[in-house]
Amino acid sequence: MNFLTTFKNEAKLIFSDAAIVLTIIGGVILYSFLYPQPYAKQSISALSVSVVDYDKSDVSRSIIFKLNTTPQITITRNDLSQRDAKKALVRGDIKAIIVIPKNFKRNLALNISPTIAVGADSSYFLIYGGVLEGAMKSVLTQSATIKVANLLKKQVPLVGAKESYTPYSLNTINLFNKNNSYTQYVVPAVFILILQQTILIGLGILGGGINERMARKRNKTKEDEYFETAHIWQMYLSRIIIFLSIFFVHMLFYFGYSFEHFEVTRLVNIPDLLTFGFAFLIASISFGLFLGSLFASREIATPVVLFSSLPLVFSAGFVWPLESLPSAIYYLSQLVPSTPAIHGFLSLNQMGASFSMIVNSYALLWLQSIVYLVLASIIFLKKRNSLCC
Amino acid sequence: MFNTLNEAFLYELKSINNSWYKLFLITVLPIISFILIIAIFRTGVIRDLPIVVVDNDKSKLSHMLLTNIEASPTMQILAMPNSTKEAIDLVKSTKAYAIIVIPNHFLKNTLLGKQPQVTAMLNTQYILIGKILTSVLTSTVMESSAQVEYVKNLVDIQNPEATIHSIAPIGLQITPFFNMYQNYFYFLVSSLLPAIWQIFIVIATLVSIGVIFKSKKEKIFFKETKYVGARLMGLMLPYTIAFVLLGTGYLFYIFSMWEFQGSFTILLFGMFLTVVAYQVIALLIFATGFDYARSLSLGAVYTAPAFAFLGITFPIYNMNTFALFWRDILPVSHYIQLQLSQANYGANIFLEIDKLLTLFAFWLLFIPVVLLFKKKLKKEMS
Repeated sequence: MNFLTTFKNEAKLIFSDAAIVLTIIGGVILYSFLYPQPYAKQSISALSVSVVDYDKSDVSRSIIFKLNTTPQITITRNDLSQRDAKKALVRGDIKAIIVIPKNFKRNLALNISPTIAVGADSSYFLIYGGVLEGAMKSVLTQSATIKVANLLKKQVPLVGAKESYTPYSLNTINLFNKNNSYTQYVVPAVFILILQQTILIGLGILGGGINERMARKRNKTKEDEYFETAHIWQMYLSRIIIFLSIFFVHMLFYFGYSFEHFEVTRLVNIPDLLTFGFAFLIASISFGLFLGSLFASREIATPVVLFSSLPLVFSAGFVWPLESLPSAIYYLSQLVPSTPAIHGFLSLNQMGASFSMIVNSYALLWLQSIVYLVLASIIFLKKRNSLCC
Repeated sequence: MFNTLNEAFLYELKSINNSWYKLFLITVLPIISFILIIAIFRTGVIRDLPIVVVDNDKSKLSHMLLTNIEASPTMQILAMPNSTKEAIDLVKSTKAYAIIVIPNHFLKNTLLGKQPQVTAMLNTQYILIGKILTSVLTSTVMESSAQVEYVKNLVDIQNPEATIHSIAPIGLQITPFFNMYQNYFYFLVSSLLPAIWQIFIVIATLVSIGVIFKSKKEKIFFKETKYVGARLMGLMLPYTIAFVLLGTGYLFYIFSMWEFQGSFTILLFGMFLTVVAYQVIALLIFATGFDYARSLSLGAVYTAPAFAFLGITFPIYNMNTFALFWRDILPVSHYIQLQLSQANYGANIFLEIDKLLTLFAFWLLFIPVVLLFKKKLKKEMS
C-alpha cells in the first residue's frame, strides 16, 4: 500500500467520525470561548464590608473614610452590634466586618494603642486577601499620620517627620501581570492544556476504535482489512500530518485571536512561539498515539483524559508551587507534555524569558515525542499480531 | 412499574459486575483522582518559596534584614546575585519567585532618618504565589523596621509600653472567619473533589446508557415503549448509590480533619439531589443524538470547566452574565454553596431551601428525557 492511499484512509477515518470532529474542531473552539468566561472581568472589584463603630468619634470616622477610599473595600452597612453584622455576613450581604472599639480616640490620646478588629470570610482566598490588604493600608496610613503628628509635636520639621516616621519601608513591584489579572493568570495555561487534551481525546478515540475493530472476529469489512495490513509508519505519519495541520491553526487562533480578544499579554516573538509550539504539538500527538494504542475501545479516551485535567492543572506549577508538590506527583506530571509546555509558554510569553531559559522544557518535549512514538508503535504492532493476522 | 424498575436495576448491577470498565468508573478511577488531588495539596501550607536577594549595601543592617527574611518559613533565599538583571533572569526562568533589592547606603540613610526603601519585585504571573510573598515580605520588612524603631525610640522614651505605642499607634487584629486554618488544603480540596466527582457522575451515566445503545441491546433492555421512565430510573439507581457513597466518603475524609458546623443530614440530602440532577442531565445529553462517543464529548464540554465557575478561586460577584448563567446550569455550583454554608455557618434549613429547590428543579428535565427516549424507541421498534 502506498503512502497516499494510507493517508486518504486515515483522513477518512478521522473526518467521518462525528465524535472526533466534534472534539478536535468544535470542542477546541467552544472551549476557547467557555473557559475564560468566569474571569472576563479580570480582577476583583471592591468588597462589601460592614463597619461596627463603637467609638463614634471624629478619629473613628476618619478611619472609616480611609477604609472606604481603598480600592478593595466599599462600606455598605453600618451595624450597631457585631451580632447584626454577623447575620448580614451569613446571609451573604457582606464579606467582612470591621470593628472599631469603644474609647478608641481616648486610648489613642492616652498613648494606649487601641486595636481595630477585622474579620473576613476566609473560605474564599481572594476575598480574604482583598479585605486584609485594604484594612492594612488604611490603618497604616492613619498610623503614619499620627506618628508624623507626634514627631511634629517634638519640633521635628514636617519634611523630616514625613521621611522618618519609620526607619525604612518596602516598595513592591509586580514584575509580570502587573494588575493581578485573573485572565492572564489562568487562560494561557489552561489553553495549552485544552490543546493537549483535545489532541489526546481525538487520537484516543481513533486508536481505541481501531483496536476495538481489530479485536472483532465477525463481520469484517474492507476497512478492517486496512488496519490489518497498513504500514504502521504510514498510519502514524498520516495522523501526525493531519493533527499537526489542524492544531497548528488552532494554536495560531488561540495565541493570536483569543489572546487579543481576552487581552492577554504577548511578549514572545513569533519564531520562538512557533519553535516551541511545534515541539509541544508533536509531543502531544505522540502521547495521543501512545494512549490510542493502549485503549481497547473508542469510549475510554474521553473519560480518562477528562479525569486527568484537574490534577494536571494543579501539578503544572503555576497555581500551586512545584516546591510544595510531593516528589512522586512532580515526576509523574513530567511524563505529560502539558507540564513542560505550560512552563515554557508562560516563561516565554507571560514573563518574556529568552529561549535559552526554557531549553530544558523544550528538550523534554522532544524526548517525550520520541519515547511515546516508539512505545505507540511497539504496542500497536504487538496488539495487531496477537489480535488478527 | 416497580417490577420494571427492579428488573432494570438488577440488569445494570449484573452488567457492572461483568464489566471492569463500569466497575472502575465507580470505584478505582474516582478514588485515584481524589487521591491525586489530595496528594497535590497534602502539605496545605506553602513553604520555602525560593527568592533571590540583591544586597547593594552589605552592612550590619542589611544582614539583620536578611536574617529576618530567612527566619520566615514561607521563603528561602536561593541566591544572592550581584545585579538586578541577573536576578530578573532567575525569576523569568522560574527558579525564583521574587527579588529583594537592598539599596546603596541602606544603613547610612536609615541612621540619617531618610527612610530608604527596600524593593521587592514579585512574579505576579503566579497570582497565588505572588500574593503570599507580597504579604509575607511586607510584614517581614515592617517588623524588622519596627525593631530598629523600637531600639531608637526606647533611648528617647525610656518606657517600653509607650515605645510600642510610638511605633504602632493603632493595632490591627485580623480574624479569619470559617476557614480558621488559613490552609489551602481545606480551601481547594473541598471544592476540587466535588468538581471531579460531578465529572464521574455524568460519564458513568453516559457509559451505562451508551453501552446499551452501542451494543444494540436497547430492545432487550427496554423491551416495550411502556415504563421507559421506570427502567431509566432502575438503570440510574446503582450509580446514584455509588456516587452518594463516594461523596459521603470524601465529606467524611475532609471533615474528619476540619470543623463542620452544620447538619450532615441536610448536606447529604443535597448531595443526593445533586447526583440525580447530574444523572438526568447526562441522560438528556445522550438523548440529543443517541450517539455514545459523541455524548461523551458533550458531557466533557459540560462538566470539565466546572471548577472555574464555582466561585471559589474567583468570586461570583465579579463574573459576567454568561459566566453566571453557565454557573447556574451546573448543579455542583449550587451544591458547593450548600456545602460551604453547612460546613462554615451551619445555616439552618430555611436558609438552604432555595439551594435544595434549585437542585431539585434539575430533576424536572426527566420529563423531556422520557419523552425523547420514548420517541426513539417507538421509531426503532416499529
